[in-house]
Amino acid sequence: METAHTDKNFEQKLNHLTDNLIKMSNIVEKQIEIAVNVIKSKDSSDAQTTQNLDEQVDEVERDVRDLSFEIMTLHRPVASDLRLVFTALKVSKELERMGDHSRNLAKRAISISSSFDVDLTDQMHNLGKGVQKMVNQTLESFFKKDEVQARISWNQDAEIDRQYKSLLSDLIERMHNKETSVVDEGTKPILIAKSLERIGDHATNIAEEVIFNITGHYIDLKKSDFE
Amino acid sequence: MVDQNSNYALQTSEVYVHYGKKMAINNVALNFPKNEVTSLIGPSGCGKSTFLRCLNRMNDVIDICNVKGKFLLNGNVDIYSPDIQVETLREKVGMVFQKPNPFPKTIYDNVAYGPKIHGIASSQNELDEIVKDSLHRAGLYEEVKDRMDDIATGLSGGQQQRLCIARAIAIRPEIILMDEPCSALDPIATAKIEDLINELKENYTIIIVTHSMSQASRVSSKTAFFHLGNLVEYGETGKIFTKPDKEQTNDYITGRFG
Repeated sequence: METAHTDKNFEQKLNHLTDNLIKMSNIVEKQIEIAVNVIKSKDSSDAQTTQNLDEQVDEVERDVRDLSFEIMTLHRPVASDLRLVFTALKVSKELERMGDHSRNLAKRAISISSSFDVDLTDQMHNLGKGVQKMVNQTLESFFKKDEVQARISWNQDAEIDRQYKSLLSDLIERMHNKETSVVDEGTKPILIAKSLERIGDHATNIAEEVIFNITGHYIDLKKSDFE
Repeated sequence: MVDQNSNYALQTSEVYVHYGKKMAINNVALNFPKNEVTSLIGPSGCGKSTFLRCLNRMNDVIDICNVKGKFLLNGNVDIYSPDIQVETLREKVGMVFQKPNPFPKTIYDNVAYGPKIHGIASSQNELDEIVKDSLHRAGLYEEVKDRMDDIATGLSGGQQQRLCIARAIAIRPEIILMDEPCSALDPIATAKIEDLINELKENYTIIIVTHSMSQASRVSSKTAFFHLGNLVEYGETGKIFTKPDKEQTNDYITGRFG
């Protein structure tokens, strides 16, 4: 357990900063979950919910930014406190981008016809579920300050990329074959898949921030050989 | 074991200090790189000032203070050797105190006093030059050049502290020890002293005890954290204030209970 601060006001603000990040993470995880379900359900009210949640995400991101600015100005944080503020600013930005991708992909998913290929829909949904799990584990590693978990989460991105590329080549192949149900949707399924893949990338960025927050170093994870 | 590396202005090892039976410094080893500023930080009573005062034998005058250890100046001069005269040592290792302490003499005499008693100047002209040069280096000359015969105690606190720095420089030391030199000064005077420290390091090695974490991070390239007489951590200031190795250091510099 972390030692208590002598400056209670400062400590309260640091706790508030963490609380805001937890709040933002919960909203973004919910957004992703709903957006991934919309791929199959095509429920337009759920898609609207992701839009509404996005406004909440933006609001919390502003709170994180303002509070970080206040902490830096008034309390001049150093060491672990400085790293927390620095990480909060960067993680909140990544979360906000994840929220944007969720909103966009849900909006596109409801515009795809119900006659769209079932297998491709399943592939998109599975990709979404994989991304959802990765995001959940990455954020858990942040709040639990678990470096090992952050590295495992980071490593999951390779599998997400593999699934994304496989889905993409299937989509392109079906388009080549002029399968009407696929061709009619144009780039929409590709953009949905891309949004999911991008959410995975933002999760890896968060995993790198988690490792920085714990160790004080940015590790070139691409060169590391952990499994 | 003190190595002979002359990149260090001062090397210390196996330092123990006792006040009577009470241990104040417990087996500290710390080396000070030449032309760098090293900050000594830690809570009150941690031993940082005691350690600083060992470096020019200020503790010699305290009867119950017992200092043991190796202290090497420039890699080969044992400053506690019986052959070393304390006055000669203090020519090499000057000191600036927490509270400015000018002599109740003129501004000129305050700076000229050291060179006179140490026989540094061979003529009045040379003495004048030393006084002028020292005041210049301390960033005070322009402010006092027209009132060199005024009594120094009439200067502001910040000016008095810069005068004390000029006085320390006048005897041409290699190392300047500073014991909380800005604690009695306002932020502007503090900024001037910090600027000065930054300039002085080109010619001197500076060791500063400070309670201000932000001052340590601003002025020094190396930081040593003391706690209960132990040297807990020493390293690059940038690292100490971003990712210290020891949790105790992190707790202290972030303002948590140690």
